[in-house]
Amino acid sequence: MARRAQIIPPRPDLRRKAVNHTRGFDFKLSPAMVQKLEQVVHKARDSFTADIAARLVAMRTALREASDGEADAGQALHAIYRDSLEIKGAGGTIGFDLLTAIGKSLNDFVSGLQELDPRRVDIIDLHIDALYVVLADNITGRGGPTEAAVLKAFSAVREKFKDD
Amino acid sequence: MPEKIDFSKVSFLIVDQNKLSTQLIRDILAMLEVTRVRSVTSVARARNVLRGEPVDIIITEYHMEPETGIDLIDWIRTGMDSPDRMIPIIMLTANSEEEYVMRARDRGVTEFLAKPFNVEGLYRRLVSVIARPRAFVNIDDYFGPDRRRRQVDYGGPDRRRAD
Repeated sequence: MARRAQIIPPRPDLRRKAVNHTRGFDFKLSPAMVQKLEQVVHKARDSFTADIAARLVAMRTALREASDGEADAGQALHAIYRDSLEIKGAGGTIGFDLLTAIGKSLNDFVSGLQELDPRRVDIIDLHIDALYVVLADNITGRGGPTEAAVLKAFSAVREKFKDD
Repeated sequence: MPEKIDFSKVSFLIVDQNKLSTQLIRDILAMLEVTRVRSVTSVARARNVLRGEPVDIIITEYHMEPETGIDLIDWIRTGMDSPDRMIPIIMLTANSEEEYVMRARDRGVTEFLAKPFNVEGLYRRLVSVIARPRAFVNIDDYFGPDRRRRQVDYGGPDRRRAD
């Protein structure tokens, strides 16, 4: 039989230290403050964009070396998993929702993969191409019908070829 | 008069291998007038910091190598040498699928925020861990914040499904 749960009351020390009625920020941020914080994110946009571009180069190189037999496929897939995860996380934060969507598609595809074959190489390559296009054409937000169709196609390809 | 949060009184530890992500969090915290922020790129270094000085809030990534954010939560919540088993932990990660959220929750994370994130989402979680601390539960295989956020009427002694 399960042991009875011991409930430990909330610890008040942090609240006691930081919450008051005179100094600091309201529990709900004012629109002006939200704007200020968003400007901080906006300022970071160039650095994030450069970082994503560098990750695309790294992914392309890793894929090429692995498909040419110059590097271990498992290691390349691991590197692509890591970079695509970072792109998935960074894209939407700086306004590139489509980068996040394609990054997620690629990340889902390579997650758990240990081996490469020509078809998988093509699929990863196409994802990287699409990420390049979004970055080069500065497509912020989720894009339009074309971008939606690309994502739908990636989804179908993922489903069909991941476990081949 | 409404309550306010004085973030200058709160210290943070950021654990993330992505330096840009860390810098962005630092910049946001600076705008909130936080002055005490440490950042490290591994769980091992996080342990060292936490052993050496008190920290009020940890913000950690899930995906790190060789140890993950889950390993950090495990150590803090259940480690024999944990410096503070009840420290609030916010997981900020691109590993946002349900399986990761559930795993983090079941190991004792306080708040989970998926990347990409927006500043309001981060702020809400900061407010939550500072102003609305949760009770902790200690039971067979779990030590961490009470996972039942919804307050519902119940008749049993432990608010369990089996009661």
